[in-house]
Amino acid sequence: MYRKQVRRRRAVLALLIVGSFVLLTVTYGQGSDGVQRGVSTIFSPLQDVADRALKPARDLVNWFDETFDAKGDNAQLHDELQVARKEAVGAKTALAENAQLRKLVGLDRSGAIPSGYDPVTGRVIARSPTVWFADVTIDVGSGDGAEVGDPVVNGDGLVGTVAAVTGGSARVTLIADHSSAVSAKIVPSGTQGVMKPSVGDPEDLILDFLDSEKRVGKGQSVVTSGWRGQGIESSYPPNLPIGEVVEASLLQQEAQQQVHVRPYADLRDLDLVQVLTGGSRG
Amino acid sequence: MILTANILARLVAIVVVGVILQLSFFSQVSLFHVSPDVLPALVVVLGLLGGTLTGAVCGFWVGFLLDCLLIAPLGGASLVLLATGYLAGLFRERFEIHSSLVPPLLCMVLTLFAELGFGAIELMLGIDAPISGLVIRDMLLKSIFAFFLGWAIYVGVRRALRPALVLEPMVRRGRRPTALGA
Repeated sequence: MYRKQVRRRRAVLALLIVGSFVLLTVTYGQGSDGVQRGVSTIFSPLQDVADRALKPARDLVNWFDETFDAKGDNAQLHDELQVARKEAVGAKTALAENAQLRKLVGLDRSGAIPSGYDPVTGRVIARSPTVWFADVTIDVGSGDGAEVGDPVVNGDGLVGTVAAVTGGSARVTLIADHSSAVSAKIVPSGTQGVMKPSVGDPEDLILDFLDSEKRVGKGQSVVTSGWRGQGIESSYPPNLPIGEVVEASLLQQEAQQQVHVRPYADLRDLDLVQVLTGGSRG
Repeated sequence: MILTANILARLVAIVVVGVILQLSFFSQVSLFHVSPDVLPALVVVLGLLGGTLTGAVCGFWVGFLLDCLLIAPLGGASLVLLATGYLAGLFRERFEIHSSLVPPLLCMVLTLFAELGFGAIELMLGIDAPISGLVIRDMLLKSIFAFFLGWAIYVGVRRALRPALVLEPMVRRGRRPTALGA
């Protein structure tokens, strides 16, 4: 009797392990499949209700954390900072591209979000619990026009890109995720590079593959470069604000061709975001 | 654990509520810049109360539901959490739980194990970015949170599953005699 129980237990365990490996093999590197779409559709309303119901409690806990860390920002000052930052980045970008823009006709870059995109506002309803994945789930899905590859921003700047969609929700891979790489440039110098994360520290991004001939200074702004050529193009439109250079030692620039950047968006505390739908996708 | 339809329904409810709470609350709050992860602790508690089979099966389904709701590749979380639940169940089957500190301590240790497991799976699948030292701090703080949250989860889940428990895992202390012998 006991042996039979042990055999059954081992069989179930082996089945679960094999099942996990099969699921991992079948689904890794792909988007959402039918099972996930189904489960996500069933639980999305429940998540949405839980998200709204628990928001006061979340805010309370986060308030303690922010107070402890002396990060409690005044809401009015925060709004003013957002506006000022957008204007500053916009002005720097405008200065840098003035010469080129004069030659171009029909391009309207009035704000940080380029024309041709239709921003859809959504709320973060779930977040990956482990430090290894920097993903959030938002309540905007293919029903709202979101598609895989759409850039996602908030009031401060670039947040990430849509990695998978269901009817009513989407997974957003943040720029702090290990799989993220964003082509970026420094304004006003125009130095190009690739923005990569430092896994586990969402406040530290690394702008890599910089031209070692050009000097980058602390405090300079970094925006998306939005390159295009030979039939392919970046997933991100140009000039979306990403962050500010916080560490740019001469040694690091010459030896490793990289500088450290702090993102404008607080990737640890995302609530409302905008999916830029409708643009040309790479 | 005696599995009846009623207990099975309670287990399903515990798993669903646990995952929803994790995604809608715990993952979105931050204490010392770290979000608590209650799912390994929940699986540990289920393993401690139900044994290896219950722990492993619940761990698998918690991971599966988590991956589905995060629209993430399936299987990784299931594999890690089923191992976590199995180890908790194995502890319950091999050792007596004499102290009320054992469940939270086990939650702490196995949460660290689960976080390392998530990291190991990610490393095996390939990480094309430098890894910050803050990852270690994150995992250690998550484990410490699991100690405190694990205690509360243990009390709550044990109460919810009490009708199914064959043995009370805690050894009750006898009442001390008073000076009058009452």
